[in-house]
Amino acid sequence: METPYTDHLTREDYDHVYEPAEDSFLLLDALEKDLNFLEKLKPSLCVEIGSGSGVIITALAKKIGTGSICLATDINLKACDATRKTAVRNGARVCPIRCNLTDALRSRTVDVLLFNPPYVVTSDEELQTQQFNSGAEPSTERNLVFSWAGGKDGRRITDLLLDKLDDVLSPTGVLYLLLLQENKPNEIIKHLDSLHFRAVKFLERRIPGEYLHILKVTRSLT
Amino acid sequence: MKLSTYNFLTSMAIKGVKVGFPLKLTINKKEEVESEFNPTFIERLLPKLDWAAIYGAAQVAELADDIPPTQPENIGENELLLQKLHHLLFEIDVLEGQLECPETGRIFPITDGIPNMLLNEDEV
Repeated sequence: METPYTDHLTREDYDHVYEPAEDSFLLLDALEKDLNFLEKLKPSLCVEIGSGSGVIITALAKKIGTGSICLATDINLKACDATRKTAVRNGARVCPIRCNLTDALRSRTVDVLLFNPPYVVTSDEELQTQQFNSGAEPSTERNLVFSWAGGKDGRRITDLLLDKLDDVLSPTGVLYLLLLQENKPNEIIKHLDSLHFRAVKFLERRIPGEYLHILKVTRSLT
Repeated sequence: MKLSTYNFLTSMAIKGVKVGFPLKLTINKKEEVESEFNPTFIERLLPKLDWAAIYGAAQVAELADDIPPTQPENIGENELLLQKLHHLLFEIDVLEGQLECPETGRIFPITDGIPNMLLNEDEV
């Protein structure tokens, strides 16, 4: 899978939008590693939550070409805009939607879901009211805080998604979820099991200061 | 916003809204973009299309003559219709307009091609 061009994004864009980093590239590597699976799955709808610059969903859209619909959500308008530009720059078909998680999407339609969540362990105050206030434009600083602040165990936002995952994924849907060791991936795997999902550690990588995991989550067969 | 995206959008996250679909679409400004036609994919997409919503979108996009009011059988053998569906779903880009919740009337603006479906705290 090719890494999309990002030369159209400037320093100023990255003042508002998360700049692709090791975590983004690990998620790309996971998709690359699972291309055979994805080709067999034949997803008709792929969605990335919190697409930021849009590199991940754009790379997937380039790879799948006209064989799927690729949508991207983000609460940050500047991220939606960056995602749209990244898709255009790379000739990929990606449609951004400004919304929280997958709240604006019809139930059980998503075949491939990608989420590099705000995973950094912070105080809950740091992410207060992050998903709300559509009218008020958050300040530059707040936009970026929302891209990484994860509250207790860095899990507040991730847990919100997991608790409604059954209502999001299609019957054959799959979620690729990026986690930090501090997010307690084993605990998440157990929690998902109780929700009738099978989660496996699909890829992991140590980078300076962080240990990253990609969980691959599918519905349990039983 | 492509009309293929419109097919998946709902206002169900609003407190008290049951279905929130299809949203009432208004188009103030649109452009046509070229996109490669993949008939196999359009056929594969059919189970996820809500035909009534798609037909409604075709009327708003002034393409009602292209799309029959109900989904014909054996659509896979009708390449011309698949082509017209492709055009409707992937080649119409709504730049300015709005989506309206069918149950509450809440308006979601589409600005610069991006639908703003973000809700306020008191709405969820």
